[in-house]
Amino acid sequence: MVSEHIIKSYDQELQRLDNIISEMGGLSESQLAAAIEAVAKRDSELAARVVKGDARVDELEREVESLVVRLLALRQPMARDLRQIIAGLKISSDLERIADYASNVAKRAIALNQTPPVKPVSGIPRMGRLGSGMIKDVLDAFVERDAEKALSVWLRDEEMDDLYTSLFRELLTYMIEDPRNITSCAHLLFMAKNLERIGDHATNIAETLYFLVHGTPLAQVRPKRDRTSLALAPDTTAEEPDGDEA
Amino acid sequence: MTIDVTPVETPTRPHLISMPEPNRDNGPQLGQLVPKAEIKDLRFYYGGYEALKGINLTLHDKRVTAFIGPSGCGKSTLLRILNRIYQLYPDQRATGQVLVDGQDILDPKQDLNLLRARIGMVFQKPTPFPMSIYDNIAFGIRLYERLGPRQLDERVEGALRRAALWDEVKDKLRESGLSLSGGQQQRLCIARAVAVKPEILLLDEPASALDPISTQRIEELISELKSDYCIAIVTHNMQQAARSSDYTAFMYLGQLIEFDSTENIFTHPRERQTEDYITGRFG
Repeated sequence: MVSEHIIKSYDQELQRLDNIISEMGGLSESQLAAAIEAVAKRDSELAARVVKGDARVDELEREVESLVVRLLALRQPMARDLRQIIAGLKISSDLERIADYASNVAKRAIALNQTPPVKPVSGIPRMGRLGSGMIKDVLDAFVERDAEKALSVWLRDEEMDDLYTSLFRELLTYMIEDPRNITSCAHLLFMAKNLERIGDHATNIAETLYFLVHGTPLAQVRPKRDRTSLALAPDTTAEEPDGDEA
Repeated sequence: MTIDVTPVETPTRPHLISMPEPNRDNGPQLGQLVPKAEIKDLRFYYGGYEALKGINLTLHDKRVTAFIGPSGCGKSTLLRILNRIYQLYPDQRATGQVLVDGQDILDPKQDLNLLRARIGMVFQKPTPFPMSIYDNIAFGIRLYERLGPRQLDERVEGALRRAALWDEVKDKLRESGLSLSGGQQQRLCIARAVAVKPEILLLDEPASALDPISTQRIEELISELKSDYCIAIVTHNMQQAARSSDYTAFMYLGQLIEFDSTENIFTHPRERQTEDYITGRFG
């Protein structure tokens, strides 16, 4: 792809940065998948493992931070190398957040398992699958330095926002129907919000990757379809897109 | 809702002559860009060897332009043409045009002494004359102007102050210029060059033989001097080019590969060769 540096150890350090990012990405993706499975199958043990597994992602983020500081101080990177290092730092922080959200979902799964099952649980796996797919694709794009693929992930966040908005309304309906649903629906609402945020972070990674490849920011207005902040009651139909709250 | 998904195109950067104002957040903008030296289809020959293969480039007044590139790429040659130092050697010739304020300095009728007063040069190794610190500065002034002793004193002091050397040498102006340290000698040479009030200052690796502190003094000096002069600097130190210049020209094998604002060159150059060179991938 890109030719090698005259100083070989510099290449090795940059490769190491990429490798840690890939490992973080793989972990975040599997953490998310496991958290969703824990929700769907009401498996508290699995959920507990996810919560515990988050520490490894945090550890990798700290590794990226120290490697980046070292590279900046010792190598004086320029151009693409500089962008790769800055991108590595940003992406690792997005991945760390993604894993945090996955862990939050798992924690709520444990709480949710204490309450009787509610119907709209199926919306959560759908959002989870979409989120996993976005993470997987944006990481493939990162490994291949494929800005077009990153752009397609970037656009998919719209679907995530749509799913979130409809799940939000559905959950409101359940809560209105029967106040005994409120506890579990509140947990589900927070889970949905976490998943929606995961989509936003995958989108951030796509933007960072675009910058890494092209050297210019992706300067477009991303469609915002999360309209839940406008929803007062389940029958409210809000036509206007909201601000940039999410 | 309609969504525009066309990727943002890299804005096409105007090439060569019409340069964008460098976008530097860390310093004040210095007003209008004024072309000082326009180099047009410049070719240079060492005997039968073509060392420069048609260079087109504009140096702007009150701006610093850095020339980078591997050894033998022609960047020092380019500098040597600008004050026609090459003419000291037989068998070396230049074709094309170098218009300084619209006047071609390659014209055989050009008065070389006058040219070299307008275009000062500082070399890699400090080259103080074997005379006193004072006379090192006064020598050049006396060649071009007749000044009374007080005026001359003022000019010498002014030049030494300009080169940030005054405080270090004011009590030993009669001592030999060779008694100074390497960094001080180099600043003495810069003082000597600015004493005759040139319009363009050419610096050929001015800090490569200096320690880091002296190097930073020279770089600080460059940023001070650019408020008055058009400065061209050749350097092998890319960080130095990045730190001290507004524009950067990357040369390779006698050709100008890329010329752009320093920020663009070091963050996202257009040419693969430039990118390979500045990131240390040049094989």
